[in-house]
Amino acid sequence: MHYVGEHLWAAELGRGLTAFSFIFSVLAAIAYYLKGDEWKKLGRLAFRLHATTLFGLIGLLFFIMANHYFEFDYVWKHTSLDLPPRYLFSAFWEGQEGSFLLWMFWNAVLGFILTFTAGKFEGPVVGVFAAVQAFLVSMILGVYIGEMHIGYSPFILVREMSENIGLPWTQFQDYLTRFPNFADGSGLNPLLQNYWMTIHPPTLFLGFASTLVPFSYAIAGLLRNDYKSWINSALVWSFFSVGILGVGILMGGAWAYEALSFGGFWAWDPVENTSLVPWLVMAGGAHLLLIQKNKGGVVPSTLFLLILSFLLVLYSTFLTRSGILGDSSVHAFVDLGLSGQLLIYLLFFTIGSLGLLLWRYKSLPKKEKEDGMDSREFWMFIGALVLLISGLQITLSTSYPVFNQLFGPEGLISLYEENKVLIDPIAHYNAIQVPFALIIVLLIGAGQFLSYHKTSKSQFFKRQILTFIATTLLSILSCWVLDMWNPMYVGLLWASYYAAIGNLEFWFRWARGNWNVAGSTVAHLGFALIIAGSLVSNANKDIISQNKTFIHEEFPANENLLIHQGDTVELGEYWVCWTGQTEEGIYLNYELEFFEEKDGELAKVFDLSPRIQLNERMGNVAEPSTRHFINRDIYTHVTYADMRSMEEQSSEEWKNQFDIELAKGESHFLYGKYQVKLDTLVVEAPNTTDGPEYIVLGAGLSVTTMQDSTYKIMPIYAVQGDEAQHVDAEIKELGLKFSFDRINYETNKPVIIASEHKEAEEPFILIKAEVFPWINLLWLGSILMALGTVIAVVTRIRRS
Amino acid sequence: MKNSQIAIIIAIAVLIGYTLVRLGNSSTYSNFEQATEKMGEKTTVIGYLNLEESMDFNPKTVQFSFTAKDKKGNQTRVIYNQPKPQDFERSEEITMTGYATDTAFIATDILMKCPSKYNEQNEIDSDKIYK
Repeated sequence: MHYVGEHLWAAELGRGLTAFSFIFSVLAAIAYYLKGDEWKKLGRLAFRLHATTLFGLIGLLFFIMANHYFEFDYVWKHTSLDLPPRYLFSAFWEGQEGSFLLWMFWNAVLGFILTFTAGKFEGPVVGVFAAVQAFLVSMILGVYIGEMHIGYSPFILVREMSENIGLPWTQFQDYLTRFPNFADGSGLNPLLQNYWMTIHPPTLFLGFASTLVPFSYAIAGLLRNDYKSWINSALVWSFFSVGILGVGILMGGAWAYEALSFGGFWAWDPVENTSLVPWLVMAGGAHLLLIQKNKGGVVPSTLFLLILSFLLVLYSTFLTRSGILGDSSVHAFVDLGLSGQLLIYLLFFTIGSLGLLLWRYKSLPKKEKEDGMDSREFWMFIGALVLLISGLQITLSTSYPVFNQLFGPEGLISLYEENKVLIDPIAHYNAIQVPFALIIVLLIGAGQFLSYHKTSKSQFFKRQILTFIATTLLSILSCWVLDMWNPMYVGLLWASYYAAIGNLEFWFRWARGNWNVAGSTVAHLGFALIIAGSLVSNANKDIISQNKTFIHEEFPANENLLIHQGDTVELGEYWVCWTGQTEEGIYLNYELEFFEEKDGELAKVFDLSPRIQLNERMGNVAEPSTRHFINRDIYTHVTYADMRSMEEQSSEEWKNQFDIELAKGESHFLYGKYQVKLDTLVVEAPNTTDGPEYIVLGAGLSVTTMQDSTYKIMPIYAVQGDEAQHVDAEIKELGLKFSFDRINYETNKPVIIASEHKEAEEPFILIKAEVFPWINLLWLGSILMALGTVIAVVTRIRRS
Repeated sequence: MKNSQIAIIIAIAVLIGYTLVRLGNSSTYSNFEQATEKMGEKTTVIGYLNLEESMDFNPKTVQFSFTAKDKKGNQTRVIYNQPKPQDFERSEEITMTGYATDTAFIATDILMKCPSKYNEQNEIDSDKIYK
């Protein structure tokens, strides 16, 4: 059949480009693997063709999305006519296929660069890239082999989706113009319509892609049995990776803090964890590379960490995209049907790389002499080990759902009878990770004062007397101001100050501003501030909203403050007034005015407007509003609100009119407090020769309150000729009125209009307000760490 | 003793410590029956919302209560001292962390799963056509 209005050329071209991209990546992997210059040239050509076809297909997908070709499933699901063009990028990587493409894009870019810079390692390094790309492109191939499918193509048409094949509407040639569904797409989830969604995923995926470079160098080294000439290149790339991946992760935290009501920037959610772990391991690996370069003797552990970091990226991909985390993460992941393919991808590289490492293990150069306890390399090695253990702990705890799948009651080998779960994940991770962080910052502080090979003890201590004094004084002052005396926290704060001040002192006083250590100084200073900022802002987080209007005997005062409109109530050191709400597109803004008490009078200090996003697809979402001060943030969000507009809430005698459509037996939750159920529908229609003379319909409703009392009522709707009459039913005690308005002819259900008596309720909202002290240290630290890695990478490229 | 051996011993010590903490903190998913047996002990139950029963939210006390059914079909009243989560009615599955008392299950944390939201939107409604 020939369908009207489809852009089949784009579908053909898109699938063609995907297929060629796949074939070229496989060809490149094989050609690069074979020895000889001719093969290498062929591999290079194939890889560049792979990258070119990939860029072509990405461009094509952008094109069909920008032009709203809604016959394409991906376009229809992720864009809409009213989507602002600036969110086209966000829409592109909203879906599974698009985010794979984003990842492949960065891999192709990095691989392309490496075809020029990798020199004599080009063969194995770009070869590994090609192999990885082959697996990734297969995720979007959309090819069926018998019953088994390989990947989902973003160029599939809606009518070709397996759930639509054979449906009646696919029989119409002009289905695109016949069915209103195709006039517009469902659009980008409003939750993702913000600038974070534009910048966070590309950064994070560049971070993920960058872990592949050190991995490839490690594999290349193992294949060639050469553990020397690639160290410098891998070093630069691994610090690049640490920087970009770190920024990507922190951006996710900033997004959660600024725009989502998760109540903080880090929640130890599986998704956050599985992107943090590769970073921890890569940071360890990068430092081992430094030891290897300056001193040598750590080849096996360096290789292990560099390989592991990439494998953990694959594991993270598997966890987040297989639907296995469904019960344990706020990011609702569903099985997208690629689990099997993802598992093969993960196993191939895990077995391949670790197998290669084991096979070569005996021939790897080992340490000739033990490192002294007074050498920098010894403590740097310990630091890398701690990072590794920290990462493994997070991985193990995040993998509970995997263990349950393997060994749980319904698992492959059933070892235990009930699925395991972490009861209080935040407390669990904090309890274990805080000591790890403490060791790391202590090592960061001491590291600069240690020299490779041997450090003089007296000089080591003498050089940092000032640091010790300053750190201790500052810690005592901070703890006193914050009233924070938990020994573990005091220790961590001291250690992170020590790392920050120690690095500064070393750089200015002993290294005399030497440009070569600038990168590490700034990055380490940044890391220390991140730890200090996270600790202080989280451990001293103060929930200042306390509901004092009513405290139930059995329950402690609540953390949600109830404010009636126009009332001014106490909120921590402030007084807050809810003046009203305004509608702005898909947002309801709740205007809050904050006052401070000065000489017995209230003086306005600032406004905040936390808002609720009316999101049909995901449900309504609260977005916080934060007042930033240098030394603290006041963070508020609306935790409960009546979602109707102001006008609706305050009309004449009856207000809050609300249409309820019910079939017999169905019920509806009304005004957040009543359960309305249609028990029966009474019909009276005496027949005459020309059909019914009149029709009387009565809706038998039962209304149940929170106190469990039930009221039975029957509003009536009568029709005679073209005249209709309504007899409304009222429940005086509750101040409720029900009117039987009409029958919805499309659904055949009665439509009841409910309304509330005006006096019934005054508008109110519940808000939660928290103070995060010194959270700016965290953001300052993030910027410094990013800046430091940039300096480090640039100075290293210049030197080599 | 060699330094590398010291390092490995430290690593092993940390791992043992970790395992101990882990055992203390982990628990298993349970159902309402098991939760009632261990009254007052924190546990996690996966269940479904029973829409037949009432769902109440009192903003004055910030108390939300509903009736949930666990996977074995046992049902109980659940009290959640937090504002009612948005679109709670539409949830398919609810993961509730909390403890049982003799009258109700007190939930301290609730996670909802609503995958159908996404699918509903993406169905072609072929009854609707341009006339």
